[in-house]
Amino acid sequence: MKKRWCCLPALFLLTGCWDTQALHKTKLITAGGFDYTKNGNVTITASIPQSIAPAAGGQTLINQAYSATGHTARQSRVLLDRKVSEQLDVSKNQIIIFGEDSAKKDIYQLLDVFYRDPKSALNAKIAVTKGSAKDVISNKYMETESGSTGIGEYLRDVIKSSEESATVTKETIQSVCPIMFDPGQDFTLPYIIPLKHTAKVDGVAVFHGEKMVGTITGPTSVLYVMLTGQHYTKAMSTTRKISSDKKVKLNNFTSFKVKKNKRILDVTVSATGQISVDLQLKTRVIIIEYPHNNLNTSGEVEKVEKELSATLTKESQKIVAKLQKMNADTFGIGRELMAFHYPFWKKLDWEKEYPKIPIHTKVDITVIGHGIIE
Amino acid sequence: MNKHTITHRQLFFLILQTQIGVGILSLPYSLFQKAKIDGWISLFIAGVIIQFSLLAIWKLCDRFPQKTLFDFQPKILGKNLGFIFNVIYTLHFLFISVLILILYNSIVSKWILFETPSWVIILIMASTGAYFITSSPREMARFYTIVTPLLLILLGFILYAYTGVHPLYILPIGEMGMRTILKSSQDAVVALLGFDVALVFLAYTEGERSKKIKVISYASLCVTILYGFVVLTTFIYFNPEEIKIVPEPVLYMLKAFSFSIIERTDLIFLSIWMISVATSFICYFFLAAKGVQKLFGLKNNKKSAPYLAIICTLIAVIPNDKLEVAAWNKYISFTSLLFSALFPILLLIIAVLRKKEDKGAASS
Repeated sequence: MKKRWCCLPALFLLTGCWDTQALHKTKLITAGGFDYTKNGNVTITASIPQSIAPAAGGQTLINQAYSATGHTARQSRVLLDRKVSEQLDVSKNQIIIFGEDSAKKDIYQLLDVFYRDPKSALNAKIAVTKGSAKDVISNKYMETESGSTGIGEYLRDVIKSSEESATVTKETIQSVCPIMFDPGQDFTLPYIIPLKHTAKVDGVAVFHGEKMVGTITGPTSVLYVMLTGQHYTKAMSTTRKISSDKKVKLNNFTSFKVKKNKRILDVTVSATGQISVDLQLKTRVIIIEYPHNNLNTSGEVEKVEKELSATLTKESQKIVAKLQKMNADTFGIGRELMAFHYPFWKKLDWEKEYPKIPIHTKVDITVIGHGIIE
Repeated sequence: MNKHTITHRQLFFLILQTQIGVGILSLPYSLFQKAKIDGWISLFIAGVIIQFSLLAIWKLCDRFPQKTLFDFQPKILGKNLGFIFNVIYTLHFLFISVLILILYNSIVSKWILFETPSWVIILIMASTGAYFITSSPREMARFYTIVTPLLLILLGFILYAYTGVHPLYILPIGEMGMRTILKSSQDAVVALLGFDVALVFLAYTEGERSKKIKVISYASLCVTILYGFVVLTTFIYFNPEEIKIVPEPVLYMLKAFSFSIIERTDLIFLSIWMISVATSFICYFFLAAKGVQKLFGLKNNKKSAPYLAIICTLIAVIPNDKLEVAAWNKYISFTSLLFSALFPILLLIIAVLRKKEDKGAASS
């Protein structure tokens, strides 16, 4: 019996009174944005959703955006904290947005606080916006105004759906980090264009090292994502013009959905030190739109395949040329060299060499289905 | 005495759990410092090296059945020298316990409990140890067996990293050259320490002699493979340039994962990891208490436990910044390399040369 009573004082050890964090004493940031001001200071904008008691059928969430400017990302955060009533907390953050100008300067310096803080959400999405991040985060969107969606969730879902449709590559704060450090590979982030009541993901912002160097937008970005070796996403589809002789304009186009995408990246170094790269796509697709309506013969299917392959090959050459011009090695060709030709890589000045190497691309389309009609 | 014996299987888990400890979180980082991306090779070399130490430990204990290190040291080295070495070993085990507390505290206060005073974190662990060593080795071994399945959860979490790895990051293999890799395996041996508790626990193990060496070497093999897997995974998850700035790569990697129910995987990992730390701490603490018992001629190790726990706590709260912790880590790691891995071999050689062994050994 005496022994049992001895256990009681142990209960005091179980409480952990130092590290409690009461939810009602914190304000959760769900979206954060960074911009540079003209004189080089950092402006941070944060969206903080506040729940309110719903007035009969009304909204249950209001999105408040705050911003503050300081010398560094952390200082701005501290200044921001002074503006709001409770402690700010980033552990539930959904998305980080960079204004285009700040992305062009350097994103690592701004991201440092996220990598350093043990509580930050490393799996948050990360994107670049045309214009300033402040506008995107403090904007009033149709979906966030009417319902119970916070800005952070809305923007995150917009990006997630673009990932599904293969308009952008899948990235989070942590997943870009290894590539940012890698001298032999670069990455791309979703590129958002703010519209009046919506935010549109228009393609990818291409980075070299820690700086944004350009964009790939429009339908081309789907092909770009295919070229990065993305196997398959739920709605990886795109539309291309395959002829120009049909009377009805729509009949010149076809849309396809990718069922299986296989990328072959072959980096060879000749004895004389010439690098050559073979980039091939072997893609199996399903035709999901073909208004011309005569896919019943194998000849016709082959014609579509040939046309699509030719169009996409040409387009992929353009993408590669563009990337080389931006000096962005997003396919990781440098990484391949580093891994398999290390002594050669050590002597190489990749920054100078990459834009000059010949990269041969080829896209091979095979149609494996065309919906439930011929 | 009968209550104190443990079976082969229990010995296996005892060694396994003692070897897996604080080191697992920062091992990839410390291996990377010297051998860069070839660090995993160093680890496997270290795994082979410690098998020799294990062999020596087993041979040594085999010469003195049912005798612990503290019992047979005076027999091998003579009464006075043996006493001195018993003191050294007691201090050594005590300081390893302290080091475990220091490293445990530095990680916990950095990752989860930011505001909690460090003496509280340390004291809770130390008092757990003090309570635990009042039980018999068999009860300890049972606990170690029960908590081992938890390691599978840790393994499962780490497996999840394979959704975002870059296998090319570990290529080219062997670029650093054999010498650097061998040099770095010294650090790896430190991470694999824990097998040295066999010096005492072999005395409690009953059963066939030849099976004992199999058991302890399998336990070390398992730990080496587990560590190798962890190191390889982090090496292909992080860019080589990135590991340089991430001192706890395993936790950092897990922090980036989140599932629909678990948001912060690293916290779950840490909670399970704490048990692994506790098991290592308890083992070394038990050894230190055994040493004190022998030195002061106490009847059992229960009496000294609370005092030892207080001493440990008091020493463990001394280092209070990162660099001091690193310095403590460096020195104690060095001494443990000496006393846990090398000295048993020397001791065995002396025993063989001086033909010291327990007469009963041949018959059993």
